[in-house]
Amino acid sequence: MLLLQLRNELWKLFGKPRTYIGFGALLLAQVIIVLVFRYSPASRGMVRQLESSGFDASQYITCLTIATVMLFPISYVLLPLYATLIGGDLVAKEAEDGTLRMILSRPISRFRLLGVKWLAGVIFTTLLVVMLGLVGVLFARCFFPWGGLFVFAPGESFSVLNAADGLRHYAGAHVLLAVKAGTVLSLAFMFSCFNVKPAAATILALSVIFVSFVLMQIPFFRDLQPWFFTYHLDLWRNVLMQPVPWWKVRASLCILAGFNLTFLIIGATVFHVRDIKS
Amino acid sequence: MIELKHVVKVFGRRTAVDDLSLVVPRGVVYGLLGHNGAGKSTAIGMMLGQVWPTQGEVRVGGHEVTSHRQAALQKVGAIFEAPVFYDYLSGWRNLEILSHYTGPTPPGRLREVLDWVGLTGREHSRVRTYSHGMRTRLALAQALLPNPELLILDEPGDGLDPEGIHELRQMILRLNRELGLTILLSSHLLSEVEQLCTRIAMLNQGRKVFEGPLAGIHSERRWLRLRTGDFAAAVRELRAAGLIAEDREGRLIEPVRDTGAERVVRFLVERGMPVFEIAPEEQSLESFYLSLMKDRREPATAKI
Repeated sequence: MLLLQLRNELWKLFGKPRTYIGFGALLLAQVIIVLVFRYSPASRGMVRQLESSGFDASQYITCLTIATVMLFPISYVLLPLYATLIGGDLVAKEAEDGTLRMILSRPISRFRLLGVKWLAGVIFTTLLVVMLGLVGVLFARCFFPWGGLFVFAPGESFSVLNAADGLRHYAGAHVLLAVKAGTVLSLAFMFSCFNVKPAAATILALSVIFVSFVLMQIPFFRDLQPWFFTYHLDLWRNVLMQPVPWWKVRASLCILAGFNLTFLIIGATVFHVRDIKS
Repeated sequence: MIELKHVVKVFGRRTAVDDLSLVVPRGVVYGLLGHNGAGKSTAIGMMLGQVWPTQGEVRVGGHEVTSHRQAALQKVGAIFEAPVFYDYLSGWRNLEILSHYTGPTPPGRLREVLDWVGLTGREHSRVRTYSHGMRTRLALAQALLPNPELLILDEPGDGLDPEGIHELRQMILRLNRELGLTILLSSHLLSEVEQLCTRIAMLNQGRKVFEGPLAGIHSERRWLRLRTGDFAAAVRELRAAGLIAEDREGRLIEPVRDTGAERVVRFLVERGMPVFEIAPEEQSLESFYLSLMKDRREPATAKI
């Protein structure tokens, strides 16, 4: 029965044209970034970094490297935007349209309904991240050769990996990126359970992320960074380091699990006591 | 089938339902009447476990809705005003989605109800292509899917054209007659209620102001149509003599108990007032409703 209800939620989610806006926007961003790297001097900085460290740049300016570079802007801007759009819609849009009242005239518990909706949302964000990873590397392959992975983040990482290791790290980063997207969705989902419009749920979630991110950048809060929600959303970047600081990944995973649980409990409690009216 | 005991619902400072007690017996078509904002939809929301009562007890099919919502709604179907669906999906898929919130539903059952409501042949079209009447039929189909014993219809005729209203009325009567369903119909369309319901309750400002069989309203208050030379003067005299309790519309009087038309006529003629016509006024649901609502409004106006 749970599977049938989950399938129904997926039908509803993937039947809506707006669900595909996220996929389309990510695809477009990837196309633009690949073309910029191919036809502009954007990759010169990476070439200089590699050559000054004694590496053959032609071995590392590859489809894997370009696909990884694409992840940074996309994971900070587009991915949270589309995860919150979908998360904010899940409950609030049904309440706004009136279909929630129809559903809740049936003998399904509110907790179960929220459970299947959240699962459907998590499946959506996971698919979004899988598409991001696959299409990114496949499209970059059209313009760049296959080879090693080079990741450089000032003050954080300088990783040079062969193709096999690079692919493993690239795939691992996407697994954790799916955790990030799922957590962002949970935040928007929590607001969606409140008596608000879908757009308000999305804006509230984006505001929380934005405020947390900005505060984290203020020097005064630098020492407190591990207390910020957004700090742990960056856990996927750790997997691109060599060696991977697994203790940091594990700690962030535990903290994000706690955040997810908190968002779900708050959302479910608010939704449970709420009166559903026309 | 439905039992509300001293139910109160307060939204902020506003009391939407105030000490409402109702019993909807099994097998009847029960009308819930009241103007917009009278508390009908809130009462229905509480019956379906969508709105939590502030006080009181709501039982459906013998189960307390607040604590055993799932058991209470197992054999309940509901339709709300302006039926909404997932417009981008087909009627069939909408039915599949909604039915699975109750339990697994075989495709044969879906076909059966689609046939029953007359949507066979259009079930695979997207709902956005449906007319309002077709949406209402689809809403009825989804309500019938779980083989309900109780059907709750909240303003189902809203927005329908006369033909659609007639069609819906026939369907409701068939459901009650052929399938033996108990039907709770909330409406402010008095003519619909009059044609469908056997028992009614009227709400005003969240309070129940009348409950009883529809037939009972005719004997509830006895009005006489009086045509005389000076209606106002006649009413004044009759009131002074304590022969009437009420008058309205400049033509109707309500004699006090044990006072018949002949006594009123004799009284007026003795005072030199000609009586051209006096006859019992058949009380329609509309006149009964309006007089009840007027009665309830007057004390409030007087307070101001």
